[in-house]
Amino acid sequence: MIRTDVIIIGGGSTGCGIARDLALRGIPHCLIEKGDFAAGATGACHGLLHSGGRYAVNDPEAAAECIAENMILRKIGKKCVEQTGGLFVRLPGDSKRFRDTFLKKCEEVGIATEELSPSRALDLVPTLNPSLEEAIRVPDCSIDPFRLCMLNITSSQKRGGQILTHHKVTEIIKEHGRCVGVKAREEATSDCKEIRGKVIINATGAWGDQVAHLAGGSVPITLSKGSLVVTNHRITNMVINRLRPASDGDIVVPNEAVCLAGTTSIPVTDPDRIGVDPAEVDIIATQAQEMLPGFGATRLIRTYAGVRPLLKADGGDGRAISRGFRIIDHQDGLFSILGGKLTTYRLMAEQMTDRVMEVFGRKTRCRTAELSLEGQEELSGYPLSNRLKTLEGIVCECELVTADTVERVAGQVGARHIGDIQHRTRLGMGPCQGGFCTYRALGIMQEMGKMTPEESMRMLREFLQRRFKGIKPALWGDQLREEQLVEYIYLGILNMEQVQ
Amino acid sequence: MKFDFQHCIRCTVCVANCPVFKVNSAFPGPKQSGPDAQRFRSDDGASIDRWVRLCSQCKRCDVACPYGVHPAEIILREQTRYGAGHFRPLPYRLFANNYWLGMFNSLIAPLANILTPRGFVKRVLNVFGISTVTPFPPYRFHSMNRSWRWKGRRKSRKRVVFFYGCFINYNRPDIGRGVRNLLASLGVRVVIPRQVCCGLPALGNGDMETARKFARKNARILAGYIDKGYDVIYTCTSCGLSLTQDYPGILGVPDGKKISENSYNLHEYILKLMDEGYIDPAFAPLHRRVAYHIPCHLRALGIGYPAARLFERIPGLEVHILEDNCCGLAGSYGFKKKHEKTSAKLGADAARAIKATGPDALMSDCGACKMQLGYFSGIPALDPSEILRESLKPGGDT
Amino acid sequence: MNAVYDVVIIGGGMSGMMAAVTLAGKGRKVAVISKGDPVCCFSTGCIDLLATGGDPLEGIGTLPDNHPYHLVGKDAVAKALELFRGIMSEEGVPYVGDVHANRGVLTSLGRRKTTCLVPETMEFSDFDPDEYIHVISFHKMKDFYPQYITSRYPNAGHSIFDPGVITTPGIAEKFENRPFLESFLSWLGGLDIPEGRIALPAVLGKSLAGDVYREVSAGCGRKVFEIPTLPPSISGLRLFGGMKNALLRRGIDLYWGRGIYSVEKLGNRIEAVTLTSQGRATRVEGTAFILATGSFVSGGLQASMDTVTETIFDLSAYLPGGREGWFNDDFFAPGHEIEKAGIRVDASFRPVDTEIENLYVCGSILAFSEVMKYRCGHGMAIATGVAAAEACGGLAQ
Repeated sequence: MIRTDVIIIGGGSTGCGIARDLALRGIPHCLIEKGDFAAGATGACHGLLHSGGRYAVNDPEAAAECIAENMILRKIGKKCVEQTGGLFVRLPGDSKRFRDTFLKKCEEVGIATEELSPSRALDLVPTLNPSLEEAIRVPDCSIDPFRLCMLNITSSQKRGGQILTHHKVTEIIKEHGRCVGVKAREEATSDCKEIRGKVIINATGAWGDQVAHLAGGSVPITLSKGSLVVTNHRITNMVINRLRPASDGDIVVPNEAVCLAGTTSIPVTDPDRIGVDPAEVDIIATQAQEMLPGFGATRLIRTYAGVRPLLKADGGDGRAISRGFRIIDHQDGLFSILGGKLTTYRLMAEQMTDRVMEVFGRKTRCRTAELSLEGQEELSGYPLSNRLKTLEGIVCECELVTADTVERVAGQVGARHIGDIQHRTRLGMGPCQGGFCTYRALGIMQEMGKMTPEESMRMLREFLQRRFKGIKPALWGDQLREEQLVEYIYLGILNMEQVQ
Repeated sequence: MKFDFQHCIRCTVCVANCPVFKVNSAFPGPKQSGPDAQRFRSDDGASIDRWVRLCSQCKRCDVACPYGVHPAEIILREQTRYGAGHFRPLPYRLFANNYWLGMFNSLIAPLANILTPRGFVKRVLNVFGISTVTPFPPYRFHSMNRSWRWKGRRKSRKRVVFFYGCFINYNRPDIGRGVRNLLASLGVRVVIPRQVCCGLPALGNGDMETARKFARKNARILAGYIDKGYDVIYTCTSCGLSLTQDYPGILGVPDGKKISENSYNLHEYILKLMDEGYIDPAFAPLHRRVAYHIPCHLRALGIGYPAARLFERIPGLEVHILEDNCCGLAGSYGFKKKHEKTSAKLGADAARAIKATGPDALMSDCGACKMQLGYFSGIPALDPSEILRESLKPGGDT
Repeated sequence: MNAVYDVVIIGGGMSGMMAAVTLAGKGRKVAVISKGDPVCCFSTGCIDLLATGGDPLEGIGTLPDNHPYHLVGKDAVAKALELFRGIMSEEGVPYVGDVHANRGVLTSLGRRKTTCLVPETMEFSDFDPDEYIHVISFHKMKDFYPQYITSRYPNAGHSIFDPGVITTPGIAEKFENRPFLESFLSWLGGLDIPEGRIALPAVLGKSLAGDVYREVSAGCGRKVFEIPTLPPSISGLRLFGGMKNALLRRGIDLYWGRGIYSVEKLGNRIEAVTLTSQGRATRVEGTAFILATGSFVSGGLQASMDTVTETIFDLSAYLPGGREGWFNDDFFAPGHEIEKAGIRVDASFRPVDTEIENLYVCGSILAFSEVMKYRCGHGMAIATGVAAAEACGGLAQ
């Protein structure tokens, strides 16, 4: 039995942000997450730290939140936020009226814009469509959501926060009509744990309604799937947005050594059963191609999909709904925090934690905007070329992950599966998609005694299956060749099918 | 061109062919140094990959890659970017300006040749980062430059200008004059034009600017001759690679394409003359056993081994072709203390393979290969043209 | 620069090289053009004939009618493999095996891989399950984790040797060095290894592998066998290196490291191909041409978002449906649909759906070869290479 003050269900950016805030304000807490950190929308997003430009016209409130948080995050997360800048690109045929409104609204909201001529824009991003009419520069940034979660958790861990990843909450314990704790089942062993706390926060995003139901409540969210594709390399070093009313496939974000292009918006009902349709890939590729003509010839290495938990409105396609967030007090010790986006995670966490402080009658104020995220000294930061300083002891040759990093992360809190290590280090997120390095990383972990040879074999097999799901929609051209090579290795040289 | 590295599927065939990777664990290999690392480089970011200089630019990876990734070229660009952004130590500066170094040593030739083998001179050179394992070749006062404006007496349908390169120029002008006479005896009008270093040493030492300067100068001169109906002949395969690949490519000189299309390896040219029926030389028998060490840059030229085809016609000549080893000197690479061990290991291995064929001489088109393998094997190192001349026995002085 | 041949083979992989040897054996003047090195670095060096528990040669009869093996015929397949064995013996890389019975080699995961012809250095089929295995690994060498093996065999031990380099090419190079070999043997002799076998990753030399292997076996007085490694696979390099030497030995002209720039046709015949090279293109003329450029990985076939093309002659390639159906959801499915893609040929290995008269096709570019599904990679390449050469040998008289 674990006793604490606050139980946080959900280890996405919101949950991790709340953990950090509680930790900094001295409140004991326990975070429970059914997968690894950022297993939901956080880990499947665009990796974009919005300037707010995208929302300025339709949702100025959300836009204002974005720009404020953007400025805060780039200050507190110097080594996990890449200040790439962004461009809103207007192509022939795009509405000039929208552009005028865009500029006006950005100014009102406080988003700095700079109007660039085509030649200046092409100087900055040579791969842009040369027939663009103009580009407007905004302070977009790129962010790695996994790293972000880990850095927030570091603060929690340092101050005694308890972390239970790979634990699924199966029951919310109610006594006399009040929520007093949860039961959580450990995925690997099926052991059940009981955790007792005074306040329970439901920060489970797309699973919010499922969790609220455990306490007999509900939350008004609608689910919208968004798919993205990952390119082999950075075809742009700035975020590229289309200067028109938001629609499918109109953003390309440079993220680490790749670009993420997307997205789509398809209503779904079950957040656990989603996949990328080839048709979505075609849409995204076509749209990206308009802004960056080389996109069609660019190798894609992977696709992925995530589910946006949006505050319910009547009708609409999920895009027009405000990205604003809401805190629901279920009046029984359970709070649900819904909506929002990665960019405003800290603000969401602040407001949620303020509410918790009210419950406890404490007055400690929030300092998450002032203090730098802890744990950044381990990151190599930006520019990317920093990582080329020395190439010794590399395990993942595509993403330059060293054996030391693998060993360190393997010992980190909550790291169970090879997938956890991959998210946190980017091992296997490059062109070969873990074809070589996963075998190596598992071999190392097995030699470190972290798992038996049998376990590591099983993990390797699971990994290869999971990986394949994400790659399949993007298999043509160079990536298809890569896949054939990986098959020759695992099925040919290693003869893996005989592994049960 | 810019994103060719995306074709890399990590088949590691470049790595399996890299001589430096095999013997030096500090070099990450062509795959990692090229397509893998390129994803992290950006044109406006600073270059900090010091280790990229461990690549000797032998180009074996480019030849081996079946997917058009060109790892050697990616690495070369990074080497020049690194060179442009950092202070270049003395050996790099010296060898980038090999042309002037050679000219100086040629002028003071007898003195230079007495001094360079001396112990104290070697120690000084070592202090400055220059390796003295492989001996410096002797310099000659009567360099090829002194033959500028030499024109073959015959008027002929076939006219060539001879691009001889720094090694032949300052160290073995005898080979150069021999080639000149050979071509003349085959009825070709040979002109020795003004010329400077092809630029490869500068490029290989991270100095793009100097390389371009040399290249532009040569391009002007050679293009002028090409327009007048001359073909360009080279014997040094590294100069050849520079003229045919780098001039239109990474150096981007005006008329680069023209020069590339009109430059011929000497033996390639002789075969061409034979194919066209212009000449039908009588090859006298030679009873010799020779090991032909194929320079890495000859493989990269993509013209096959034309000298070997000529030798097939020489009765009694036993030629063993050795193409699997890099000699390790790689131009000025092995003359740097930093690369001494790598160079010596590769040189010893290549020499061993040569000696195993039991030859009375070894041949190689490249000056560096001749120096290195001659030293490590102790066997006389000839230019293929010397064997050819022996069989064809042309007139003229050497 | 002109060069004229009886047969020009495009593709320097297993099928192209076997075709070249076959034609040279018939006295034809042959050239082989290869865009780069073939798939040597991820080949185990073993020759897979057909994955089956029974007789692999007879097993050919169970394959679908459209499988390229049927175009060759069982007897010819057996003969082609014999020819291959003879060539490799001559090159100092002897193979063991029997076309009527598959055998296993040990993989780095401690499992057995079923194959047919095995390089002598990897022979493992006479292993007794109770026999002792001592695994030698090399300090810091990547991609080889002995515990995968030692945990699966009740009777196993492990020692680590430090060769001073950490890469497979580096270690293989060292083994061809006399002093190193002797120091290794003396170290090995100093270990107190029980009776049994010694297993090592396949790094016992490259071109001199046969000699090194024999010395190590003799030196330690035990049966030694090698385990194929991840890329760069030295055992694969031995196979392809040996074949390439066989071509050179037979006076076959190699245009290595050059791609094809253009194709010249005269009516329905291919006259010549032009190769890229620095400066000027080389024109290679032939009476007949053999296309052996391999599948997707080698670049013989190319997949765009919705179709598959053949990259040199633009032959029509069979396509098994739209992209959604190319791959199974299960990575480990026995063969994905896309493996059926390729060039369809008639009984003489000539492509159907084309007017071209003097072109032959062999190897993994053939449609329905389904190499991963049937585990017939090198075997099919060898068999179809020889058969296509026989078919075209008559034409190129």
